[in-house]
Amino acid sequence: MDRIRTRLLRCFAAVFQGLSEKELEGASLGQVEGWDSVATITLLSLVEEEFGVEFEPQDLERQTSFARILEHLDTKGIA
Amino acid sequence: MKLIEALEILRAAPKADAPSCKFFLASGFTPLHLTTFLAAELQQRLPTQMVRIETGTFGDVAGSLEGLETRGHTGVAVAMEWPDLDPRLGARRLGARGGDPVELLEASRSALARLEKRLATIAGTLPVAISLPSLPPLPLSPVPGWQASALELGLSTSLARFAEGLAQAGARVVSAQRLAQLSPMADRADLQSDLLAAFPYTRSHASELASLLAQILVPPLPLKGLITDLDGTLWSGILGEDGVAGVAWDLDHHAQRHGLYQQLLRNLADNGVLIAAATKNDAGLVAEALARNDLLLSADRLYPVEANWGAKSASVGRILQAWNVGGDSVAFIDDSAMERAEVAAAHPGLLCLPFPERDDASLLAFLERLRDLFGKPRVLDEDRLRRESLRAARIVREATADPAEASDRFLEQAEAHLELSFAADPGDGRALELVNKTNQFNLNGRRFSEAAWREALARPGAFLLTAAYADKYGPLGRIAVLEGMRDGGGVHLEVFVLSCRAFSRRIEYRLLERLLARFEAQEIAFDFVLTPRNGPVRNFLAGLLGRAPEPPVWLRREDVLAKCPPLYHEVQES
Repeated sequence: MDRIRTRLLRCFAAVFQGLSEKELEGASLGQVEGWDSVATITLLSLVEEEFGVEFEPQDLERQTSFARILEHLDTKGIA
Repeated sequence: MKLIEALEILRAAPKADAPSCKFFLASGFTPLHLTTFLAAELQQRLPTQMVRIETGTFGDVAGSLEGLETRGHTGVAVAMEWPDLDPRLGARRLGARGGDPVELLEASRSALARLEKRLATIAGTLPVAISLPSLPPLPLSPVPGWQASALELGLSTSLARFAEGLAQAGARVVSAQRLAQLSPMADRADLQSDLLAAFPYTRSHASELASLLAQILVPPLPLKGLITDLDGTLWSGILGEDGVAGVAWDLDHHAQRHGLYQQLLRNLADNGVLIAAATKNDAGLVAEALARNDLLLSADRLYPVEANWGAKSASVGRILQAWNVGGDSVAFIDDSAMERAEVAAAHPGLLCLPFPERDDASLLAFLERLRDLFGKPRVLDEDRLRRESLRAARIVREATADPAEASDRFLEQAEAHLELSFAADPGDGRALELVNKTNQFNLNGRRFSEAAWREALARPGAFLLTAAYADKYGPLGRIAVLEGMRDGGGVHLEVFVLSCRAFSRRIEYRLLERLLARFEAQEIAFDFVLTPRNGPVRNFLAGLLGRAPEPPVWLRREDVLAKCPPLYHEVQES
């Protein structure tokens, strides 16, 4: 899980620059400046690229925080 | 390139205090990752600047371009897709009647005419890169997919005419063939992304397309010269063993691959690439073989030919000297791994490539690579003069290496003619090309984008002086560029480059003399910066100053004239 967290942090750091690791782990839509619809698409594209997963349209709306994306990856069995 | 790599390139880019350059990206769809990839590709090509991308209005490519203020932009990229011809050709709009294509085709032609008009105007002032629709068209026609429909054929014809017109106007169109090699058609479209976010490309397609657009907007400098081996490379066979009649490059002798190589070299030579031969062979036998009239790359296109039994690296060294170019602008082609290794060890900057002697598939890739290494978006008159002018340069260099009196006698009888132009840039790009590729006689090594060059020349008080040279040994074409500002009673020289082909003719002195006279200037300030390669300009300034040049460098009129050696050029000024 720690390795997934690290890889996910890299994705978040690429999109939300200048945030600390702690801030990135606590990041959520509406709370982080610059997290808009374009940032969501960029972020989820990075996650798809990094973890080889694909988000279904119905999944997209739920991916609104670091914690939720991490949880989604866990449910997809990403080791 | 992966998306995360692109973002990390941009994160590491120079920040706001660095010089910036702004590109405009026009697309009818939301450009999303295409913007990121394009910015990253351009950033890699312009590492000292901060690249910024401005995008147009969603769904309105033509309107975005019509509203574009070109001043302040470095280049324009246009990523076209089918909805730009008619929105009904895209997946986000319904209502297309593919079985009756007349109306769709008419609407498309009208949209293309509007775009062509605006893009042709922009291409007159800025580099413009255009990608034609690259996604598979929607299945609108009732005609089965294995047969081209009237709609598909009509759209293809309109697009081909559109692209041809734009290319003639100076815009540069992405090669559909190259894009197909890099991004297979089946891997390009992402319908889910199109419907959700109006971004119709897969990430991999966006990355490849961005790479090609960036290459067109900021192309790499082409190499200047190619040195080829003969046996097993320019032809099949060993000259010393098979004899002059025994070497071959045709189908009959199963040696067509060498013919294809010769054909490409001939075309490169005719467009200004320097081609030389380095071979371990008997010189007489080589001369006899090169005199064969069925050779595609005729002997007069090879300069010089080094045929001897010494080390190839020594031959290569002499060729570089005759060309007066650095090894990092040259490729060396040989079928022998040992020879390549020996040359590479002696000339570390030289690109040493194997001739793929037995593998037909890799031959095509090899020929394509050569074309890309040497290819230029457009060929100028000066390119075609280069080989002959180098031959003349050698005569001049050898003659002027003699004591001063002999050198004077030689230059006096050379019938030198200098044509100086103080007019604005003629627009064919020669002045800028010379500035951006000259290393040795270059005041400071500064390079310019097309837009930055135009902006520099548009400043009040800016001047541009270009010089074309000819003498009885032949024309050299335009060989010098001076650019700067008039500054009170003096001139401030920001750019001063002289082609290495024009050395030893005292042209640099004549140019300063005419510059002072033209502006009645009492002094010249030079933006001199010492670079690893501009020794010739440093020596020239040291000769005028009487000491090594240290910025700020400036000279009074009387000092320049006092140090000026006798000049014999006939000068014509406009």
